[in-house]
Amino acid sequence: MATIELRQVEKKFGDLHAVKPMDLTVHDGEFVVLLGPSGCGKTTTLRMISGLESVTGGQILIDGRDVTWAHPSERNIAFVFQFFALYPHMTAWQNIAFPLQSQGESRAAVKQRVAEVASLLRINHLLHLRPGALSGGDKQRVALARALVRHPAAFLMDEPIGALDADARETMRAEIKRLHLLEHATTVYVTHDQVEAMAMGDRIVVMSEALVQQIGTPAEVYHKPANLFVARFIGSPGMNLVTGHYANGVVHLSENSRYLLSPEWNQALQRELGGEGKVILGFRSEAGVIVEDGPLAAEVFTSDLHGAYNMLNLSLNDDLVHIRVPRGIRYPMGATVRFNIDAEMVRFFNPRTEAAITRRVR
Amino acid sequence: MATTQAISGGQSRRRRQLSDAALLRLFIFPTLILIILMNIFPLFYSLYLSFTDYSAITRQAPNWVGFKNYSDLLSDKQMWIYFANSGRYALLSVGLQTLVGFGLALLLNEKFKGSGFLTTLILVPMMLSPAVVGLFWKLIYHPSSGIFNYIVTFGHPTAIPDILASPKLALWGIIIVDVWMWSPFVMLLCLSGLGAIPDYIYEAAAIDRASWWRQFWRITLPQVAPLLMIAVLFRTIEAFKAFDVVMPMTAGGPGEATELIALNLYRQAFGGQWRTGRASALAYIILIIVIGISNVYIRFLNKIRGD
Repeated sequence: MATIELRQVEKKFGDLHAVKPMDLTVHDGEFVVLLGPSGCGKTTTLRMISGLESVTGGQILIDGRDVTWAHPSERNIAFVFQFFALYPHMTAWQNIAFPLQSQGESRAAVKQRVAEVASLLRINHLLHLRPGALSGGDKQRVALARALVRHPAAFLMDEPIGALDADARETMRAEIKRLHLLEHATTVYVTHDQVEAMAMGDRIVVMSEALVQQIGTPAEVYHKPANLFVARFIGSPGMNLVTGHYANGVVHLSENSRYLLSPEWNQALQRELGGEGKVILGFRSEAGVIVEDGPLAAEVFTSDLHGAYNMLNLSLNDDLVHIRVPRGIRYPMGATVRFNIDAEMVRFFNPRTEAAITRRVR
Repeated sequence: MATTQAISGGQSRRRRQLSDAALLRLFIFPTLILIILMNIFPLFYSLYLSFTDYSAITRQAPNWVGFKNYSDLLSDKQMWIYFANSGRYALLSVGLQTLVGFGLALLLNEKFKGSGFLTTLILVPMMLSPAVVGLFWKLIYHPSSGIFNYIVTFGHPTAIPDILASPKLALWGIIIVDVWMWSPFVMLLCLSGLGAIPDYIYEAAAIDRASWWRQFWRITLPQVAPLLMIAVLFRTIEAFKAFDVVMPMTAGGPGEATELIALNLYRQAFGGQWRTGRASALAYIILIIVIGISNVYIRFLNKIRGD
């Protein structure tokens, strides 16, 4: 297995940046997810790593070797395509055997290796079929087998389960994660689905508008988003964001909502905003706690039953705020609810720069 | 007001009378009648005539002679020479067309500046009238004034014999013309086949470390094969029917060097004694051969398609 290193890699189409200069190191055996909305440059980044797309600038290193201008075949990587990209005129067996035959393996070795991979993915019974006769999930299993069969240095996966239906997606997600663990394979995985990214990634690279927004573990991007985009994009629902006014250790959100800051936060906001100013307060839906004498007040907009819990949608100022509450408690529409925020889980953002405000001085 | 009502009423009644089914019949019947008159009837009438001694210029009714025409034809050594000519012509001409056409398609599949214009230009021969093509290639092959000998000998046209007058080269002369005229057709079908191969297959092949050669043999060729086979099938059928280009060029000569079976068929039917019965039998023999070859192709086609 291998490490992958991107140094100031960028891609331009004409004057337009598809990927702005980015740095990324994928460690040996790591599962890194490139996450972002469509058109953010994540797939272009993956294709540049694979060599299917040339770079406009920067360097790509695989295991310390500069492969920036190497042909895909010289990078010892495997690529799993969103729409499988199986060879339609070959059987599943021939598809899986193709990379081995291309590098001139002996007949016996090919046979044995294909059988191994097929049983790992439990597709032995499908090997005589052509792609046209396979279901979406099975097509992707064959595509994964074709990727695995050669023991490549790294796996690059471009939304491999994006084209599958919901059931198959759940199953394949688990299978890919299991394969990653079994093979200890360095993997770069592209998706636009943040749930998928959180579930699978060791680290997540959040991208938007050709730019890397944040690189971190799932917990980091969830709890400590670097900016407003990440805060909104990660989580379902995204982070609650309410605009308020900071002055003298207090953030005024509305007439009867005043959030009292801890000394560290007060210091941080003081430094960032210089005395007083507009600030955006953020918290996850599970960080809100309903308490009778809570410092914040909001009006019940609607309340949704989510099975295990209720999601309370409150309107505060002009913003909708989501708070997770135990099920069984009814909140009539229009009622005023008072709540507090778990002090450890509150976040602040500078509305001008959209960046997160941090507590500790570096 | 009353008149407009009457008109619109009349129109709607007429529209009601013309049901969908009637409209359908109105379109189909004229075509059907034409097909029956021009295709189906001659087909069966000539089958009947092939068992008679009928001649279209005598005023005698056809006499039933059974399989005599067929047995005469098949035991006639001359006929086998013509069949062999046609076979050689079909094999060489279709083979070369396939190679040249596929080669051109591979080149033109790479988009470059002016490739669209070039494609159109290459298609021109296919659109010309065969009789005209035959006539002007006769001029091109002319031993002293023709451009062909001049070019292939680098300016010494008399260094090689008159192509169309040479018993050895005449068949090649008409093969070259057929290849010139119909390679574009093979190219056209191959181009559409090549265009239908999605890019991602080649991306996958690049990732799978397949060499250019291997991509060609394992991906390009199998993907284009069905269309290539259709082109070959069409051209083979045409090769056995080749007449219109050859007639003005060589009329079968010199000697019998370019006497293709279809040329001889014409000669028997409309030359000398107008042996209509015998010519009909020959036409049926050619038809059976063509159907036989087509079946082999189609079976092969289905096999590579994997149904």
